Amino acid sequence: MKLDQLEKDMLAGRQGPGKQRCMEILVKFGEAMGAEKMVPLFSAHTMPKEPLGLLAELTEGVDEPGVFTTLHPTMSAFCLRNWREMGIPEEFAQKELPIHRQRQEVYERAGFYQTYTCLPMLAGNLARAGDCVSWIGTGLQLMTNSVLGARTNRDGTVINLASAIVGRTPYYGLLKDENRKAQVLVELKDMDVGAMGPAELGAIGYWVGFKAQSLNVAFNNVPELSFDQLRYLLPPLSVSGSVPLCHVVGLTPEAPNLEAALGGASPEMVLTVGPDQLAEARAMYASATPEADLAVFGCSHCTISEIKLMAHYLNGRRLAPGKRLWVGTGYQTSELARQMGYAQTIEKAGGVFASACVATIPEAPLPGESKVVSTNSFKAAHYITHLSKGRVKAWVDEMPAVLESVLEPEGRA
Amino acid sequence: MTLKGRIINQGEVTAEALVLSEPFSFIGDFDPHTGCLNLHGPDSGEVEVGGKVLVIPTGKGGTIAPWIAYEAAQRGKAPAAILCQHPEPITCEAAITMDIPMLVSFDKEICKCLRTGQKVTISGDQVITEGD
Repeated sequence: MKLDQLEKDMLAGRQGPGKQRCMEILVKFGEAMGAEKMVPLFSAHTMPKEPLGLLAELTEGVDEPGVFTTLHPTMSAFCLRNWREMGIPEEFAQKELPIHRQRQEVYERAGFYQTYTCLPMLAGNLARAGDCVSWIGTGLQLMTNSVLGARTNRDGTVINLASAIVGRTPYYGLLKDENRKAQVLVELKDMDVGAMGPAELGAIGYWVGFKAQSLNVAFNNVPELSFDQLRYLLPPLSVSGSVPLCHVVGLTPEAPNLEAALGGASPEMVLTVGPDQLAEARAMYASATPEADLAVFGCSHCTISEIKLMAHYLNGRRLAPGKRLWVGTGYQTSELARQMGYAQTIEKAGGVFASACVATIPEAPLPGESKVVSTNSFKAAHYITHLSKGRVKAWVDEMPAVLESVLEPEGRA
Repeated sequence: MTLKGRIINQGEVTAEALVLSEPFSFIGDFDPHTGCLNLHGPDSGEVEVGGKVLVIPTGKGGTIAPWIAYEAAQRGKAPAAILCQHPEPITCEAAITMDIPMLVSFDKEICKCLRTGQKVTISGDQVITEGD
C-alpha cells in the first residue's frame, strides 16, 4: 500500500503508540482488501461499546481523533440518564455503568463527541455527497451511502474505530465509483407509497432485504418521500439482508434517473413489490393481540417531527398501569422536544426518552415483565425478538395502534 | 499435501483443523466465553474453536463481530488460525484484531481438502498436512 508522509509517521510510531497500532491494523486490512492507498475521511461515527482493553490500546497517547467523530447510541438500550425509568434491570446497569464511565474518560480526553444517536447527520455530523466517511451501524451505513450519498464501507467496529483515530481508511469497496451501482432493481407497483407510514415502509424494506442479500439496490417508481419515510424504508434492508447501498431513483443524490442508479448496466435481479409482498412481510410481525407491555419508538432514532406527532396523540392520555413507552432519540432532539413542550406531554403520559439503541443490540436487557413489544419499526421488532431468544414477542404497526397498545383506553384515564 | 492461499494475516502455527460446511460468524455461531461453537445443523455440538485451525467456506456477520473475536482472544479462546475459501471483510478484520494467521482464496477448495481433527501446519502462504 502506498502511504503518504503522515501515514508513514503514524505507522512508525512517531504520533504515539495508539495511532501506530491503528495504522498497523488498517494497513494489514487494506492490503487484504486490495486497497492501493488510504483516503482522508470527512468524519467518523463510532460505537460506544468498546472492550476497554482494545479502546485503551488504540487510544494510547491520542489527544484527539484524526477526524471529527461522533458516537452511536449507547447500546443494549442502556440510556445513561433514564435506564431506571426504562425498567432496565438493576443488575445489568451496575455491571455496565462503571465500564461506560471508563469509556467516557477516553471520549472526554480524546474528544469523541458524545452524541449517542444513530442519526449523527442531525447532530452536527453532516457528510455530503462524495465525502468518504467511516460510520458504524449497518442501518446508518446504508442511510449514509444512499440518502446522503456520502461513502462508507460496511466497516466493522475495529476498522471503524482505527479509522476514526487516524482520520484515514483504506480506499476500497464502496468508496470507489465502480462499486456503487445498483445490482438489484425494485419496481414498486399498485401501492400509494407516498402515503405510507413507518410500518408499511419498513415491511417493504424487510421483504427486499431477504431477496437482495448483500447486493446494492435501486428502488424505482417511488414518489417524493420525507426523510422520516426514508429512515423507515431503508434500514430493514440491512436487517433481513446486508444491503450496503440503496438508491431511490429521483430522490437520492447518485440516482437522478434509473440509468445513473444502475451505472448504465443491466440489473442482476429485478424484483416487483406490490400489495401481496407487502402483506407477506407485514404478516411476519403481525399483532396477535392489540395490547403490549412495552411500546418502542425510535429505531432509527425519532426526529422532532415524529415526536411532535406522538405528543399530539398523547395529549391528555396516560399509559395503563404496568405498561411502558420508550422513545429512542438523541439528547439533542429530546432537548428540542422539551423546549417545544412535546417532551413534557410524552413524559406526563408515562413515556421515557432514551438516547440509546432501542433495538436493544446486542444484549437486550428488557424489563422482566415485558413479554410483548409493539413498535412501528421492523428493525426493532426483528432484533428484540432475536436477541431475547424468543422470550419476548414483537409486533409492528403504525403509531396510533402502537400507542393504543399501552395506553389506558380513552375516557377511562 | 500442500495448499497455497493468499495471506491476510501472517503467522506460523501447527494445530488441529476444525472444518465447517456453512458460512461462519463470530456473532451467534460462537460463544466468546467458552470458545465453543454455537451452531444448529450439521456442524452443531459442543465443539471447541479455541486453539483450532478454523476452516470455513466464507464468513458473515454484523459490524460488532471483531469485538466478539477480540474478547475471545483476551480470554485465550481465539482460534489458532483461520483458513477461508471466499474471504469477506468482517472475518478478515476479526483475524487481524486477534492477530492470528489467516489465509484465503486457496488454489483448491480448502473445506473439501481438509477434515476435522487433521493436524495442519501454516507456514507463509502455505497450508501443509502430513501423510496423504
